[in-house]
Amino acid sequence: MNTFSMYVARESGLHKLYPLTKASLTLLLLIAGLTLPVNWAGYFLVLFVIFPLAIWGKVFKNFMRIVWSISLPFIISVIIIQSLFWGKGTPIFEFWILAPKIEGVIFATISVGRIILVMAGFILFAMTTRPDALMISLKQVGVPSSLAYIIVTTLQIVPRFVTKASTILDAQRSRGLETDGNLFVRSRAVVPIILPLVLGSLMEVEERAIAIEARGFNSNREETSLIEIPDTRAQFILRRIFMVLMILSIIARVAWQLST
Amino acid sequence: MAIIDLRNVTYKYPLTQESALKNINFQVNEGEFVAVIGPNGAGKSTLCYTVAGFVPHFFKGELSGTVEVAGADSSKSNLHEWVLNVGLAFQNPFNQISGAKYTVFEEIAFGLENIGVPRDEMIPRVNDAMKLTGISELADRSPYSLSGGQQQRVALTSILVMHPKVLVLDEPTSQMDPIGTREVFGVIRTLAEQGMTVIMAEHKVEWIANFADRVVALHEGQIIEDGKPQEALTSDVLAGKGFGISRYTSVARKAKETGLWKKDKLPVTLEEAVEGFAHV
Repeated sequence: MNTFSMYVARESGLHKLYPLTKASLTLLLLIAGLTLPVNWAGYFLVLFVIFPLAIWGKVFKNFMRIVWSISLPFIISVIIIQSLFWGKGTPIFEFWILAPKIEGVIFATISVGRIILVMAGFILFAMTTRPDALMISLKQVGVPSSLAYIIVTTLQIVPRFVTKASTILDAQRSRGLETDGNLFVRSRAVVPIILPLVLGSLMEVEERAIAIEARGFNSNREETSLIEIPDTRAQFILRRIFMVLMILSIIARVAWQLST
Repeated sequence: MAIIDLRNVTYKYPLTQESALKNINFQVNEGEFVAVIGPNGAGKSTLCYTVAGFVPHFFKGELSGTVEVAGADSSKSNLHEWVLNVGLAFQNPFNQISGAKYTVFEEIAFGLENIGVPRDEMIPRVNDAMKLTGISELADRSPYSLSGGQQQRVALTSILVMHPKVLVLDEPTSQMDPIGTREVFGVIRTLAEQGMTVIMAEHKVEWIANFADRVVALHEGQIIEDGKPQEALTSDVLAGKGFGISRYTSVARKAKETGLWKKDKLPVTLEEAVEGFAHV
């Protein structure tokens, strides 16, 4: 990945949507996933909202690959921990001190649905929205440019970290660091990779701050923009609907909480 | 008239004991192309940052003396006003990419957006700047997909497009091949002839000898030599202090000891060396 962003260029209706429309949909999915008092809401929304959108955006294959590789470690660890540490319940089997409970597995599966929903929503958004377009649309609704810049560069942090980490990994390997082998050998390799990654990133921040400052980032003149991003009346209304749905979802949760 | 005027400038970075710049007096005329040389840690970058306003406004620390550029006093100015007059590009091109732009064209326009240049003026300015530095064909590429040398050109172009009066460059060609280096030095030479003032920290002495008007040598935070490239680069003052010396100067200096080099002046470039040895 050398473009340093998750964005995948395609000609699709989803790509052409105004960035804030997609951002508010992502936010709606996140809030709905976390608050809806329906246990299987996460899976339902992934299947019937996010998947169709990913197909419409012509990114389904890449999308599935990324979602899968990011969420798999979560899924496994959540299921193991929840099933083993579930207090009272029906054990699936008993071995030594291990006794995973069915109730734990069910609970874990429900939580995983919510995690996948949040991650999938975010990844689909990042894959179909150009970071610069997002930055411009954020500024158009009055978000301060430094905050917009932070939001946009954060979106790109994951792919950037991955690329940097693999460079460091290669460099350390060529100096004889062992990275293959059993768990112990692998875990010993973590420090010489993480340390340069973190320190390097901190130093990078200073230089980048100088670079954007040198290009008038803190100028107090009225900013202009090179590209224009079209918004439509229909999308404006759609965003209002999303907002109402967010509030409804939160209200539903509060009501449910009070009634039980 | 001096467009850059540093008087008795001494500067210490925060949390350090030793001053990075010691009693610097440095005047540069409009349209002059000054190369700053020196071993690592001599204060080249600090001098660049001082002219560009980042010392002390960004790095803080203690600065004494006066720094004036284009008639404005650094201590009485804000950095965001200062950068309108003084453009800065530095060594690592990767960290100079804003990270918020999708194509090289947009990346170069970033600075113009920030200082509020209208769109219909922005597009021709970006096109002109890219043509000048020879990167027009990169316009639609992602800035992150470029090589180090190409990224350095993008970083340079991103500053040139803002039309600064003074251009400060800290090793702007460190990742370029010889062809790229020659082109960039050529562009900077042209700009200087059109009236832009250029300060460039650089190790490549043979290029400096061919293109710069003047050389300033820094050693341990002090200016120890200041003059025409031919004289400054061959000065005995620089000997044994870790300065980069042209191989032609080294050869001629050896030849002088054995009486083979007859001239007073030592050469810096190939042409001067050939010319000098032709008389043997």
